[in-house]
Amino acid sequence: MKKINAVITLLLLGGILFGLAFVDICTPDRLFSEYENRILASKPDFSLEKLFDGSYAEAYETYVTDQFVERDKWIFVKTMTDVLLGKKEINGVYLAKDGTLIEKHAPEDIKAEVTAQRLALLQRLVEWQEERNAGTLHIMLVPTADNIWKDKLPDYASYYEQQKLLEELQEMAGSHVIDVTDSLQAHREEYIYYKTDHHWTTRGAYYGYLLWAEAAGVTPVSYSVQTIATDFLGTLHSKTNLTVKPDTMEAYLPAVLRKTQGSSASAGGGMQVYYDFSEESRDSLYEEKYLETKNKYGYFLDDNHPFIRIETGIQSPDAEGKKLFVIKDSYANCFIPFLTEHYETIYVLDLRYYRAPLFSLLEEYDTEGDMDILVLYNVIHFIEEFQYY
Amino acid sequence: MVPKRARNLVLFLGSLIFYAWGEPVYVVLMLFSTLSDYIHGLLIARYRGKRAATCFLVSSVVINLGLLGFFKYSGLNLPLPIGISFYTFQTMSYTIDVYRGEVKAQRNILDFGVFVTMFPQLIAGPIVKYKSVAEELRTRHASLEDMAAGANRFVIGLGKKVLLANNIGRLFVEAAGMAEGNLSLLTAWLGILAYAFQIYFDFSGYSDMAIGLGRIMGFHFPENFHYPYMAVSVTDFWRRWHMSLSSWFREYVYIPLGGNRKGLGRQLVNIVIVWSLTGIWHGAGWNFLLWGMWFALFLTLEKIIFGKKSVSLPKPAGWIYTMMVVLISWCFFSLEEMDKIILFLKTMFGIGGAGIANQEAWYMLSNYAVLLVVLAIGALPLGKKAVEWVKVRCSEDTKAGPALSVCLGIAEKLFLVAVLLLSIANIVDASYNPFLYFRF
Repeated sequence: MKKINAVITLLLLGGILFGLAFVDICTPDRLFSEYENRILASKPDFSLEKLFDGSYAEAYETYVTDQFVERDKWIFVKTMTDVLLGKKEINGVYLAKDGTLIEKHAPEDIKAEVTAQRLALLQRLVEWQEERNAGTLHIMLVPTADNIWKDKLPDYASYYEQQKLLEELQEMAGSHVIDVTDSLQAHREEYIYYKTDHHWTTRGAYYGYLLWAEAAGVTPVSYSVQTIATDFLGTLHSKTNLTVKPDTMEAYLPAVLRKTQGSSASAGGGMQVYYDFSEESRDSLYEEKYLETKNKYGYFLDDNHPFIRIETGIQSPDAEGKKLFVIKDSYANCFIPFLTEHYETIYVLDLRYYRAPLFSLLEEYDTEGDMDILVLYNVIHFIEEFQYY
Repeated sequence: MVPKRARNLVLFLGSLIFYAWGEPVYVVLMLFSTLSDYIHGLLIARYRGKRAATCFLVSSVVINLGLLGFFKYSGLNLPLPIGISFYTFQTMSYTIDVYRGEVKAQRNILDFGVFVTMFPQLIAGPIVKYKSVAEELRTRHASLEDMAAGANRFVIGLGKKVLLANNIGRLFVEAAGMAEGNLSLLTAWLGILAYAFQIYFDFSGYSDMAIGLGRIMGFHFPENFHYPYMAVSVTDFWRRWHMSLSSWFREYVYIPLGGNRKGLGRQLVNIVIVWSLTGIWHGAGWNFLLWGMWFALFLTLEKIIFGKKSVSLPKPAGWIYTMMVVLISWCFFSLEEMDKIILFLKTMFGIGGAGIANQEAWYMLSNYAVLLVVLAIGALPLGKKAVEWVKVRCSEDTKAGPALSVCLGIAEKLFLVAVLLLSIANIVDASYNPFLYFRF
């Protein structure tokens, strides 16, 4: 009896270890993990030097865990045990009450001197604008989901209160500020943020657009809403690895179709989009190819580019000769399409990828001296990333 | 699987490769230490009873302590060779015991090499005295039952380390990293409690894995932990915590100094000496010395108050007192910086800090409550007691007994398999690193 017991134990445990090792050796290495969106480690090259400084052993261990058989499933098992243990957050993402994933921004991670620094940079821009005394400058800092969907957060979960910063901004740049907080609050029951991604939805952006239109003194265009994906699992899903209901992605297309020469009427017809000073243009703000990948949000404006020039092709007396310069983060990617009915040319600058002296760049593109400017970030990206020279 | 004669050769080479994997350079140091103590052992045996033997013993101890001191305490910022604190103590036990005539000098350098370099306990103990394995170095036998028990023990140890210690470690990091104005009484206690669990499950997990691997190969290493958080006095705690270290110090320092045989005064001095050394053994920082002295304080107090008389505190009171002493000791041990230690101690006793409990504290508690319960069950012998209770029932009950014991056997194996699989999942997950270049 005892012997049988021992044999069973040995067979079970030995079977698991040797079985896994065997399957692991027989499985070919993967190059890329769609799940983690990164290139996995491959077998390290051996050299005596690397062996002696210990880096070979380190690289080899990374290789083994990266290439571990059915890696994704093991990771899933671990995440599920965390959930069973009652964890309220995984990898910096809150597991909100109704299954929504909400990115965590801990108050202690945000330093007052950094926010002050960012606001001071914005202040310089405001001063520059007031000196210019032509065109408009609008600043829209969008609160993130944790601030609007507070009641969905786990009990006692902390979040960085963004209202204070927005009030400081209001005080500093009052007439230039478009504060979308109240509007998003009012529409909080609606699908204004993705539930598996840290961006706002196109609907959220639409409410932002209505406020922008009011501030800019233009009549908002009416739109027809198209569902473009129903299987969007965004960045927060990647971080947590939980089985969650995928998001739906929408595009808002102008209801009034444009007629362009030689082709039939279409929404946004005649558009020319130039990425990163390329001579070649695309004829749409939307890139279908991203819908086949995990990074579906890249559908808007071809993911992230340092600089984009959009010739909107709009033919309306109101928009004639009008130019807009957008300084932005990725929250703007689904927002900019709303602007194309109001400007002839839109420049889009992403300061995180294009470290240019901002004012000389603005002056370069402001040939008529009446170019409008829009700063659009979410509050967190603004604090983390807003930087220019 | 390996013929008996070749066993030690395979084990020796395997251990060297294992060590060299982590310490490709310092493996030379370990070989030097092995060779040095091998020769010293032979010389001591050869000149037994003569002055020369004493000289060689002193030289062996000086070389060992010199190595340890140079790498650990010289302040030259050298990386500490893995396991040096353990293997120098093991080899010292050898030369001292040869000098005392308690063991014969080992003539076979391979057998001795196996003793020093043996991979299972090389990294984190237990500290195996030469005499406790001398016999098994030469001949040992691992039955199927031994191997199964060893594998079982290894998996339990792996689970303790990977599933329990690593996961609760995060709570400690969160609490220790809390800004001064945000640290509440509850957070401070949660943080220290988390550390207490982390260090216990980490350390005893390593010991279990070592003991288990040893058992698979036919070695019987000494136990290192015996439910330390059940202790009802500080003296009791140190009979249950890192037993191989305290027994080493007792045998090679405390008793040679006279132990308790030279009156209470001398005994108290001896305790202070031993505990300063125990503290320093854990690290070069003054906080470790403080940690050792803190225990010396309570151990001497217990000697003075309870020493001769067989009085003791009622068990629940004794347990609470011991846990307080131990938890406070972990502040010295884990926080390292003076400011932080003082901040934590003050906050734990309601001085300053962010009140009794704040939002952050409740959030931590809600996040870790289930895990803390699991840890408490694991740290106290509740699971073990329950299994034993069922086993007794099985043997008493003639009707349902056999069926029940089969069920228990199945349950035990399922538990083991689950622990192993979950441990693998945790190890793989530790490298989970989604690259979110599309984050923005």
